[in-house]
Amino acid sequence: MKVRSRRKLVKPISWSALIVFLFLIPLFITSPYQLHILIMAGIAIILASSVRLVVTSGLLSLAHGGMMAVGAYTSALLVMKLGLSSWAALVLAGVAAGVIALLVGYPFVRIKGVYFALVTVFLAEVIRLIIEQWRSLTGGSMGIINIPRPDPIVIPGLLNMDFASKVDFYYFMLVLVLLILSILYAIERSRTSLTWFSIAQADFLAESVGVNTARFQVLAFTIGCFFAGMAGAFYSQYIAAITPGAFGFFWSVYIVIYMIVGGMKSFAGPIIGALILTFIPESARVLKEFQPYVFAGALMLIIFFLPEGVVSLPQRLKKLVRERFSHA
Amino acid sequence: MLEIRGLIKRFGGLIAVAGLDLTINQGELVGLIGPNGAGKTTVFNLITGFLRPTSGKVIFEGKNVTGQKPHSIAEKGIGRTFQATSLFPYLTVLQSIIAACYLRPKIGFWEATLHTSSSHRKEELSLGRALEITKFVGLDSVKDIPAHSLPHGHKRILGIAIALAAEPKLLLLDEPITGMNAEEVSEAIAVIRRIWQRGTTILVIEHNMRAAMSLCQRLVVLNFGKKITEGSPEDVRKNKDVIQAYLGVEKHAA
Amino acid sequence: MTTATLAQSILNGLMAGWIYVLVALGLTLVLSIMGIVNLAHGEIYMFGAYGAYYFCVIAGLNFLLALVISTLLIGLLGIALERIFFRPFRHGEFLTTIIMATGLMLILQTTAVISFGGSPKVVITPFPGVITIAGVTLSWERLIIILVSIILVAALFYLIHRTKIGQAMVAVSQDLDAAALQGINIDHVSSVAMFLGCGLAAAAGALMGAIFGLSPTMGGFALMKGIAVIILGGLGSIPGAVIGGLILGLIDGIIPPLLSSHMASLVGFVAIILILLFRPRGIMGHESP
Repeated sequence: MKVRSRRKLVKPISWSALIVFLFLIPLFITSPYQLHILIMAGIAIILASSVRLVVTSGLLSLAHGGMMAVGAYTSALLVMKLGLSSWAALVLAGVAAGVIALLVGYPFVRIKGVYFALVTVFLAEVIRLIIEQWRSLTGGSMGIINIPRPDPIVIPGLLNMDFASKVDFYYFMLVLVLLILSILYAIERSRTSLTWFSIAQADFLAESVGVNTARFQVLAFTIGCFFAGMAGAFYSQYIAAITPGAFGFFWSVYIVIYMIVGGMKSFAGPIIGALILTFIPESARVLKEFQPYVFAGALMLIIFFLPEGVVSLPQRLKKLVRERFSHA
Repeated sequence: MLEIRGLIKRFGGLIAVAGLDLTINQGELVGLIGPNGAGKTTVFNLITGFLRPTSGKVIFEGKNVTGQKPHSIAEKGIGRTFQATSLFPYLTVLQSIIAACYLRPKIGFWEATLHTSSSHRKEELSLGRALEITKFVGLDSVKDIPAHSLPHGHKRILGIAIALAAEPKLLLLDEPITGMNAEEVSEAIAVIRRIWQRGTTILVIEHNMRAAMSLCQRLVVLNFGKKITEGSPEDVRKNKDVIQAYLGVEKHAA
Repeated sequence: MTTATLAQSILNGLMAGWIYVLVALGLTLVLSIMGIVNLAHGEIYMFGAYGAYYFCVIAGLNFLLALVISTLLIGLLGIALERIFFRPFRHGEFLTTIIMATGLMLILQTTAVISFGGSPKVVITPFPGVITIAGVTLSWERLIIILVSIILVAALFYLIHRTKIGQAMVAVSQDLDAAALQGINIDHVSSVAMFLGCGLAAAAGALMGAIFGLSPTMGGFALMKGIAVIILGGLGSIPGAVIGGLILGLIDGIIPPLLSSHMASLVGFVAIILILLFRPRGIMGHESP
């Protein structure tokens, strides 16, 4: 009895240890620059994981950058023009992105294959153009600056976060990431996710057993965009200045690349991909203008040797080892 | 149970189905036969909503279901298999059937995400039903094998199992035994009979004449998108038009 | 709006339109024959511009000659790129090709920034002067761009409909496996498709660069327009790319002086959205694969 219950505790204990460790990081990583990288990695994790949700239903979305822009601008405008609390703005930003996804979802999901991806590219462009043209609201291509920091969290005697330092933002990011990942994980383990898998593998077959594939795909798209919007809101509250160009087409592509390089088939894939592909360009910074070569090279090498993503590395190594030793 | 009136399907200049009238009564096991290209699969697609008829009506249990979306027709109780082996390749046999149990019981998004006790109950129900179906079709021994690695015969049986998961009242089987060896064929026929005996009405498209004759109570013969005759297997076998239709095909093949 | 301004706008619109057509044709060739969304297409366009610049301004050749040389060289470069970046992954996941295309895009763009410097280059037009017809002034450079583009597109149409390789390309774009079974060499066809696709983009870039100047980031705009044209005109359709390109070009040419440049983009996008809602396949699209 004792052995069995001890085994059951290994997983929750290691996860708790990891989470505690994450909370303690600012104690030994104090450089603002390094914290900044971690925060950006966190944003990347949210974006890559949420785009994977869309992909599990069989759709590839290249609109995530645009959804992030929607979230960023919604949050900034709600706080600056309507005086809403930054926390409400965070959620409403997600809602705004989700609503847009919902509005275009039904006509869009009728289009299949690579063409859906192209149409999402186009959607992001429309969003960018509208932001650029609606100068009175969004400041046009100059963007919005001096976005206020998040509302302070004050628990007398315990907590005083005024978000003047990167450490406060790190904790904000950490809590947000853990929260969103928990929600995404709960969805991943749910029946909805199995239905999405069935649609992704054979949509007509799913349809023939009563699955309203259009509705499910729109649902996936909406949820994915909702979280992208929240990431955008966080970004605007953190960087404090946003322009329409910051969320361009290639940012949407990078988000998808984080997911692919990490490994699309597993929940942890986008997380690992986002971390690796945020850290690599940063460490290659010393190479200055040659840095993109390193990033491009890393991308292509990883996908060449590990087409299923970094997550498949342990599996592949095991196979290699087994094959080597079976000949012995 | 199922009534088809004046069904026509035109693809540009080509007429695939040229005015079909067909009635299937509850509890029947009917075969739809005819030479290649006679329009049999097109009829299935029209009934199940995968194609919109150019004109005509499909009436199921008194309700007009013409031109509805496939998923709502499935919800009304018509299930089908596909001529090309169609599966969820990366799901195991059991997972495939559980996924196909989507309709009954339906698990809503919120209860699934929040992992409520009602969703757990429904999951157990689905698991139970899926296990039962797996045993019923004889795939119990391979239930944890990913669908794409199954041998051909098992794949086609899995296709039937997936259709069964939705608890159809009327099951449309499109050439269920294609590509099977003799042993697999007799097993498949046994499964189809069992399904029928359990109370499901069945309409089978079958190319294999012997199987169709031995399995079905009634046969409907199609050629060039039209019904040329229908009746019991003996009557159909002797029918001159039917022999002509098939001979005509052989002549072309020769 | 006066007749003169209208004529000018139409001319501008046609010029822009034919450039969009060239870019979109290149993109759709690669997409329908090789199944690859070449995200580096804009960079190819940009290199075409720089190539023509080099041969014309630096090496002193006649512009049209420089255009031809640059186009051919970039086309050949495209064949090499296809071999290295796309072919090894052709049988793999589609998403892998997105990664390779992005990697390629990064490499090309970084190379451009390093080699050419980040700041835009201004050029003197190789076709100065105007011609006046019926009281309307039309600039030579715009007319020549339109003319050259039409010649290239006509040549492409001829190639597709009247040559064996063209028919092979059509076959591959419709059904890869059937084409392979018929004995068509898929590798060969892919190389040709890439050669043509990159050549068209390079020509477009060279033509635009000659009038509007060059910068290492000029490709992004081209890629976006190319994708918009493909969606509007119909996925996988070559005539659709022509129609779509001209429509978008005319919108971009006529609306700005009429209303404002803001409205031009919006009208363009509204047109595309409407098409998508009522005819997701585009104006002349086929059933999607």
